[in-house]
Amino acid sequence: MIASLVLVLLVLPLAGVGLAYNFRDAVTGSFDQRLSSLLQVILVRLEQDPVSRRLDESLDLGDPRFSRVFSGWYWQVTDTRDTTLVSRSLWDQRLPVIQAQGVTLRNAQGPRGEPLRIAERDVRLPGYPRRLHVSVAASREELNSEVARFEWLLGLSLLTLGVLLLAGLALQIQWGLAPLRRLHANLRAIESGEHKRLETRLPGELRELAQAMNEVLERDERMISRSRDAAGNLAHALKTPVSVLKTLADRLPEAPRHQVREEVARIDTAVRHHLARASAAGSAILSGRVGLKATLAPVVDGLARLAERRGIRFEYALDESLNVRMDPQDLQELVGNLLDNALRWAETRVAVKADATSDGLRLSIEDDGPGMTPQQRERALKRGARLDERHLGAGNGFDSSPTSGFDSSPTSGFDSSSGTGSGLGLAIVEDLVTLYGGQLQLEASSLGGLCARVWLPSTASA
Amino acid sequence: MKILLVEDDRALSETLGEALRDAGLIVETASNGSEGDFLVRTERYDAVVLDLGLPDGDGTRWLSQWRDDGLDLPVLILTARERWSDKAAGFSAGADDYVTKPFETGEVLFRLRALVRRSHGHSHPVLSSGALTFDTHSGSVALAGRPINLTAQEIRLLAYLMHAAPRIVSRSELSEHVYDRDHEPDSNVIDVQISRLRRKLGSERIETLRGQGYRVVAVETPA
Repeated sequence: MIASLVLVLLVLPLAGVGLAYNFRDAVTGSFDQRLSSLLQVILVRLEQDPVSRRLDESLDLGDPRFSRVFSGWYWQVTDTRDTTLVSRSLWDQRLPVIQAQGVTLRNAQGPRGEPLRIAERDVRLPGYPRRLHVSVAASREELNSEVARFEWLLGLSLLTLGVLLLAGLALQIQWGLAPLRRLHANLRAIESGEHKRLETRLPGELRELAQAMNEVLERDERMISRSRDAAGNLAHALKTPVSVLKTLADRLPEAPRHQVREEVARIDTAVRHHLARASAAGSAILSGRVGLKATLAPVVDGLARLAERRGIRFEYALDESLNVRMDPQDLQELVGNLLDNALRWAETRVAVKADATSDGLRLSIEDDGPGMTPQQRERALKRGARLDERHLGAGNGFDSSPTSGFDSSPTSGFDSSSGTGSGLGLAIVEDLVTLYGGQLQLEASSLGGLCARVWLPSTASA
Repeated sequence: MKILLVEDDRALSETLGEALRDAGLIVETASNGSEGDFLVRTERYDAVVLDLGLPDGDGTRWLSQWRDDGLDLPVLILTARERWSDKAAGFSAGADDYVTKPFETGEVLFRLRALVRRSHGHSHPVLSSGALTFDTHSGSVALAGRPINLTAQEIRLLAYLMHAAPRIVSRSELSEHVYDRDHEPDSNVIDVQISRLRRKLGSERIETLRGQGYRVVAVETPA
């Protein structure tokens, strides 16, 4: 593109200047040649009068312009004694004379002040005593105007050419780069998670590029899932021995027990941390929209069976059209934990409702269990907020006396042991809701128990 | 309370079994699915702790078969997988609860007790019959608020009777749920232990119904 601009803006004017110069040169050359041959004709005529040895006054060059006064076309023959023979066109004026051995060409001013081109030479005629000086002159006005017209035409056509070239260039850029712009928009869509692959309806080379990029994306996805699996397998393989160590530690005397538990907690924290990171890395980049009902189906099926075994009515009706922008696993985690908790506390009923709002999705999960007091709800949410610190800090927050926390008090609220061994079900829910820029609220349910409300935005959070 | 632990990892099976026994439970173990299957179908357990990753088929497969065959006892699954799709698969197969590894022994115990309690229709962790109370978590017995000192075996007997109350429990049912299958007592031993309980709690609290079995009776005033 820059090369084309250089071509148009630099080469065209240069070519113009060159062409104009050469044209002027050629035209001037042929003008000079004409003057020289006229000079030759005069010399020949002068020599053709061998008898009188005098200058013939009726020298006629066959061009009427030499007879018209001040026509711009003149000739003149002078000798050293001022015997002068001139064309009628010169009338009472004379051309300036200089010494010139051979044919000399020069510019001078004519009688009317017009620019003249003069061809002249000194000559000796046999039988004529003195040296003669012969000049032929013609006005350069004609020549100049011819050159000027040519230059104007040249300039105009070059300008037109330049404008056309630039316009063509602009169009080429506009049309030629359109597929690239489409590709760019496509990439952005992939980055934001709207698409998984580039579309390949593109011109030749670009299609190949898009296909190659798709292959890279596929390989990335495979690598992410492989490393996810690898991290997961490693973490899971460690869990059984960690369980054994934890159980064994309980049987040790106080001092070593404490130490062993602390070390085990560190292993446990590391395992969880890396497992969580491995799965988060996969979901953050490529989470598109998922159907709520289809994604939750396996979780809901399992929990419906559990509800049936516990004799709890499970009211669950979700519209097929509802969708949410979330990693499927995260969505299952979020709803699964809330449902699990509701089923744990419910006496006879659990109800799940979801509807779309203008800017997201609203989900509520209610039960008719003992519920929580406002203070308990507040505490439950605060407890969740501390999960992160615990993950980073000295490991296992779910301390050595798990039974003390929820023993004999079904009203104490969120089942702190649901979900993972060391985490809190609600804390996981809160983490996920925060990660996706949503909101979690705990309220009293009209059914009598707890109502957990979740709002998830339809646009991706930062 | 007698439970079956189906776990292929020997170290975990031994340590967890030991910890649960320390808490007063009778624990029998199976190291694979088919052994567990055999025991579940031939013995009487109050609950099963089932590991999902068994060498001879996934735990959910065995569980589904038990449920299909009408075996309705509470099942707690142990799993290393934390994903909800995995947990949900366990529930779909008929599990009653789950614990993810690595777990606390206390948590397994808590869940088991809650499951057994619920299977007998109790929602509160403290069972009471008149002035007599039994805390399912601590295993402590009190009479009108005063703690009563009982042996582990006596507690097991009373716990089973109180879970079942006001149902009558036959002698054979009692021996199946309260004694290890390798040490099943003759009926005489049960009679002796029941009479010891009566001495400590007051004879009117445990009723003997000739030819049928035993029953805990609600009596308000301490003897």
